[in-house]
Amino acid sequence: MPVFPLAGKRLKLISCEIFHREMCAAVAQAARPVDIEFLPKGLHDIGQQAMVQRLQEAVDRVNADRYDTILLGYALCNNGICGLTARSLPIVIPRAHDCITLFLGSHARYLDYFNDHPGTYFLTTGWLERGGDLGELQQLSIPHQMGMDLSFDELVARYGEDNARYLYDQLCDTLRNYGRYAWIEMGVEPDGSFENHARQAAADRGWSFEKIHGDMSLIRRLIDGPWNEREFLLLPPGQHVAPSHNDSLIRAEP
Amino acid sequence: MTDLSKMRDALLSGDANTVVSLTNAALAEGVSPSELVNKHMVPALDEAGSKFEANEIFVPELLLIARAMKAGLQIIRPLLAQSGAEPVGRVAIGTVKGDLHDIGKNLVASMLEGGGFEVIDLGVDVAPDKFLAAIKEKRVNLIALSALLTTTMPFIKAVIDALKEAGLRDQVKVMIGGAPVTQDFANEVGADGYSDNANGAVGLARRLVA
Repeated sequence: MPVFPLAGKRLKLISCEIFHREMCAAVAQAARPVDIEFLPKGLHDIGQQAMVQRLQEAVDRVNADRYDTILLGYALCNNGICGLTARSLPIVIPRAHDCITLFLGSHARYLDYFNDHPGTYFLTTGWLERGGDLGELQQLSIPHQMGMDLSFDELVARYGEDNARYLYDQLCDTLRNYGRYAWIEMGVEPDGSFENHARQAAADRGWSFEKIHGDMSLIRRLIDGPWNEREFLLLPPGQHVAPSHNDSLIRAEP
Repeated sequence: MTDLSKMRDALLSGDANTVVSLTNAALAEGVSPSELVNKHMVPALDEAGSKFEANEIFVPELLLIARAMKAGLQIIRPLLAQSGAEPVGRVAIGTVKGDLHDIGKNLVASMLEGGGFEVIDLGVDVAPDKFLAAIKEKRVNLIALSALLTTTMPFIKAVIDALKEAGLRDQVKVMIGGAPVTQDFANEVGADGYSDNANGAVGLARRLVA
């Protein structure tokens, strides 16, 4: 059996499936071999403790003999990664509030857009094809536990029509203050069908629509490096993620 | 005589129509507005809060209870004002700049109102200067800030910093909340209090203005 020079240790990517197409595209062209485990979209809906537990289980499944570094395809995700502990392998984590930073290529670009356009709901291939159904996470989700995912008819059955109307307005129409869909084109789309769906979604809601060009560079740097400290936290073995409440967003804590 | 023990049941079942009719009947019979509120309504809301914390009722029920309370208070409040009764406190509440998520903020506002506070609801996406204006113009002594995203959490600190710069920090207490907000964050930015739920927010607000 010949020994090939590239057959050393691999990278392990643990990623939210919202990045499915982008991560697959980046991994296909990666400098080193990368194995991917995708976790279901919607972990941020089940609460911080439950989310970090799922991530920790995925980290703990990684075979340290086979890999030398874990890459995390997650952002701060409403503190959902806080408490995540690196075992024997270091974990590389993008410094980002949420997935939109990774789609737009930089924290600064996301914040500029966010501050200029509050009330924007961002769409990508992942959000369109994997964003809707929470699957097995539905029952565990905070919105479900708070009764926010009830249909109008279910509310009527439980609380009567007048109360149902009030509750639906107050509790269930979570996007009532939003007014814009931003379609982020990442260059991983098969054709124009996703963009057409995004445009249709805006028309259906009567929202404005904007097409934005995404930027794969931050995702590619997560896969390929270099992992500069400004954009990534390099979580050393034995330490865990904590929020830093400043521009660095996250820090390692012993 | 109106049976005011029914007020508790009407409030706890979120029956706004019955709360209104009981309120009107009791006032017509000469029950004092403050007795109606303090003896019959606020205790019911406190009971609802305890049930909420014990997971006996949930957010939809609490919203309906707060709505029923509000319906009664709309009748009573002008009478209280005439009699010169002061609210427990005056609170300006809003989601911070850039944040449009107001489900939690609205619930807290309703609960504070039910708990005897005068609530000045500044809405969503509220810039720091609007909080400053509320302090100057409405004699606010408590500010309640909410952020649902880590992206907008820095604007909580921006409001507190603006209060300091304007020399108003000592005039008001600041309480904060929202899904990603924590007690650690509250300590770091110098807020006076943090609550992770709407009922806790009422108790916290009462302690802060006491």
